[in-house]
Amino acid sequence: MSLSKDQLRSLLTQVVCAQQDPLDCDRCYEHVAEFAEAELTGKPLCEALQAVQTHLQSCPCCRDEYQALMEGLREVLQNECNDSGSGIVDA
Amino acid sequence: MGATAAFSLTPGLSTIASRRLDTHTVMAANVSEVDWVSRLRGPEPERSQALAELQDLLVRGLSKSMANRYGGNAFAEDIAQDALIKILAALDQFENRSRFTTWAMTIATRLAISELRRKHYQDVSLDRFTNADGHQVDFAAREDVLAQASAEKAEVLTTLQDMIEAKLTTKQQLAVRALLEGWPVEVIAKRMDSNRNAVYKLIHDARQQLKVGFEEAGFPAHDVLAAIS
Repeated sequence: MSLSKDQLRSLLTQVVCAQQDPLDCDRCYEHVAEFAEAELTGKPLCEALQAVQTHLQSCPCCRDEYQALMEGLREVLQNECNDSGSGIVDA
Repeated sequence: MGATAAFSLTPGLSTIASRRLDTHTVMAANVSEVDWVSRLRGPEPERSQALAELQDLLVRGLSKSMANRYGGNAFAEDIAQDALIKILAALDQFENRSRFTTWAMTIATRLAISELRRKHYQDVSLDRFTNADGHQVDFAAREDVLAQASAEKAEVLTTLQDMIEAKLTTKQQLAVRALLEGWPVEVIAKRMDSNRNAVYKLIHDARQQLKVGFEEAGFPAHDVLAAIS
C-alpha cells in the first residue's frame, strides 16, 4: 500500500508542524469540557487550556471527539435557548 | 493567558469556532443547570425526572454529533443509556469546572465514538501495512507521485523514507502509517495490545524525530512542504 500524494502531504505537514505536546489523551479528556465552554463563550485560555489546544491540534483522535462534542453541545444549547427565548449569535 | 479557544484545526472545527454564544445565552443556559448532582442523588420522583431529562439531552446531542460519523446514529438511545450509567458512577469526579451537562456530554461523546470506531474497524488488521514477512512497514510513495516530482522534491521524499527506516521503531512506523490511513489512535492501540496514551506518544515522538532529522539534513520547513505541493 504505497502512499498517495495527500498522505505524503499530511505526513510532511505533521512532521514540519510538530509541537511539543505536554498532554496525553487522558489528560486532555480531563479538561476538554472546560475547553469546550471556553470556545463557546470566547473566554481567554489559561495555561492548562492552552495545553488542551496544543493536544487537539496534534491528536486527530481527540480532535474528532472534540468536534463531535461541540456539535452535540450546540444542538443541546440551541434547544435550551429556544425554550428560554434566547439565541446563538454569530461572532 | 490571552489566547482564546477560537482556532482553526480543520474546516469543520473552524466553522464551529466561528459561532459563539452571547452572555445572555450562557446565563439562560446556566439557569437550567439547577444542581443536577443533587437531583441525581436525591429522592424519588426528582431523581427519575432528572435521569429522564439527562437521557433526553444526551440522545439529542448524540443524534446530532454521531449522524455523520462511521455510518450512523441509530444507536443514540442505547449509548445514552450506557453513558447514564457511566455518568452516575462518576458523579464524585464532577468538580464543577464546567457545566454539568457539558461534562456529561463529554463522557457520552467519547463512549459513543469509541463504540462506533470499535464496530467500524472490527475486521481490519495492521498486517495490511507490512510486507509479507511482517517486519517492513510500507512508506513508499506511489509511482505517479514520484513520476511528477522534481529532483529536489524526490530528494526530500527519499530522505523521509531513509529517516523513517533509520530513526523509527517498527511500532512507531506502524502507528504513523495506520494514522495516515485514517485509523483512530485508540483503534491502533487496540491492535497493538497497547493503550491510547502510549500509542499517541509513539506518534508524537516519531514526528519530533523526523522533524529534527530534516533539520539536521539541511532541509528547511518550506522546502519539506514544497516537496509535495
